[in-house]
Amino acid sequence: VLEPEKRLAGPGSSPPTCRSKCGRCSPCKPVHVPIQPGLSFPLEYYPEAWRCKCGNNLFMP
Amino acid sequence: VLCPVSSSLNDEGNALLSIKVSFSNVANVLLDWNDEGDDFCSWRGVICDGNGDGLSVISLNLSNLNLGGEISPAIGDLRNIQSIDLQGNGLTGQIPDEIGNVASLVHLDLSDNLLHGDIPFSISKLKQLEFLNLKNNQLVGTIPSTLTQIPNLKTLDLARNQLRGEIPRILYWNEVLQYLGLRDNSLTGTLSPDICQLSGLWYFDVRGNNLTGPIPDNIGNCTSFEILDISYNQITGEIPYNIGFLQVATLSLQGNRLTGKIPEVIGLMQALAVLDLSENELVGPIPAILGNLSYTGKLYLHGNKLTGPIPPELGNMSKLSYLQLNDNQLVGRIPPELGKLEQLFELNLANNNLEGPIPHNISSCTALNQFNVHGNLLNGSIPLGFRNLESLTYLNLSANSFRGKIPMELGHIINLDTLDLSSNRFSGPVPASVGNLEHLLTLNLSRNNLDGQLPAELGNLRSIVTIDMSFNNLAGHIPVELGQLQNIVSLILNNNNIHGEIPAQLANCLSLASLNISYNNLSGVVPPTRNFSNLSPDSFIGNPLLCGNWLGSICRPYVPK
Repeated sequence: VLEPEKRLAGPGSSPPTCRSKCGRCSPCKPVHVPIQPGLSFPLEYYPEAWRCKCGNNLFMP
Repeated sequence: VLCPVSSSLNDEGNALLSIKVSFSNVANVLLDWNDEGDDFCSWRGVICDGNGDGLSVISLNLSNLNLGGEISPAIGDLRNIQSIDLQGNGLTGQIPDEIGNVASLVHLDLSDNLLHGDIPFSISKLKQLEFLNLKNNQLVGTIPSTLTQIPNLKTLDLARNQLRGEIPRILYWNEVLQYLGLRDNSLTGTLSPDICQLSGLWYFDVRGNNLTGPIPDNIGNCTSFEILDISYNQITGEIPYNIGFLQVATLSLQGNRLTGKIPEVIGLMQALAVLDLSENELVGPIPAILGNLSYTGKLYLHGNKLTGPIPPELGNMSKLSYLQLNDNQLVGRIPPELGKLEQLFELNLANNNLEGPIPHNISSCTALNQFNVHGNLLNGSIPLGFRNLESLTYLNLSANSFRGKIPMELGHIINLDTLDLSSNRFSGPVPASVGNLEHLLTLNLSRNNLDGQLPAELGNLRSIVTIDMSFNNLAGHIPVELGQLQNIVSLILNNNNIHGEIPAQLANCLSLASLNISYNNLSGVVPPTRNFSNLSPDSFIGNPLLCGNWLGSICRPYVPK
């Protein structure tokens, strides 16, 4: 079984594993985080990115 | 005797005072900005730092203070300032050229103002600048290609202005830039293959411009991108296979003129949180392999020319909360597998050619908030399990071939604000339980085969704005309880068999602006109250025994007392 984060030679992507991305905090899990591109129309969704979350803290994957 | 140190302090103090003079609406917010004393370092929004030469302003933060007026050229005299934040005011005028003199500036935020004119070339002299936000102003002209001379620029946000011309290609040859926000301008030209030279960029947003041409074939080389938003331009051509090499979490291609099929390779992009291909000209089937996107929360494919069935594999997208497949040419049945989507919040399948019944399994989608299958060829009855969809606020089954009775259990879906069952073949009575829907704003049961009486419980719909029960076989009287509806604007009951008199209590519905009770068997006199006298005779005609002031009325001319 391939590790999810390992890049294959071919196309495709995976969410981050977040392994040891939250410093000493655990558990460290990947979450979707809305990125606000500024004052947006209310009905417009925000783009989302992956971040690693532990407790209330977010970390870069 | 003034020593040189205090004289330089005075220079900055004087610069701040010039800046204040150039602003308006300062009376309250800059009360402590005055020329008594040299302690400008304690003024509101001013932060100083000491160095060998004494104290000097390093930060000015006057954001969201409702300031008007202009930015004074004196801002260029704050020689050691590192951060200027004037966002969220009402500043007008141009960005002064003198901004380029502040060689130490790292952070410049002038967003959310009314600044006009060009982006001054002098900004390119700010060699320390890392953050430049001019979003949401009225800036015109082109993006200066000299911005590439800022070696450490990490964030460039010029969104929501009126910038024209092409995005300077040289801007893409930047390994430092992390954030490029250009949405909602009037930029033209094509997407250059060079965008993938932005090797440190994670946010690329050119939404809402006038970009043309295809998605570059090498797009998959943009491996640092987390968000790629090229929506609402005039991008043409097919979605390249190479897109499958992207590592993005958000892929927004909607509102362009993309043609061809949805490439299967997108089904391998498991990092996708949001996939939006809506409002293009895509053809062919929805690839079953999209069901592999088990981390995707939002899938928008609506407004294309997609054909074939809804793949049952979409039921494997266990994180899906939004699924919009409406306005395509999809055929076949609604797959029962969609019932596995426990987090599904919105399901929109409207305006396709779907047939067969709504699978009972859909009742397992207990997170469902909006369910819309308007304009298909669906039949069968409403699954009784829908009573379990307690989060549902919007239920639209209109313009299909559903039949059977309207289940009494719909009255349990207490959060409904819209219930539209119009243009089907529903029969039997309107269940009294509908009156439980205290949050209901719109009730449309028109164009069915409903019979029986209008339930008096409709008078309990205290939020209701629109009731449309036209073109049924409803009989009985208009319940006097409808007079309790204080928010109703539109009451449409035409083309039924309702008889009896128009209850005078309807005059209590002070919001009522549109009433249509034509083509029934009503009798008596139209109440001579103000909100009826404003209505056109069209609201009443076709009731042979009804007396009112219109041509052909049994008692015309009718003169109210």
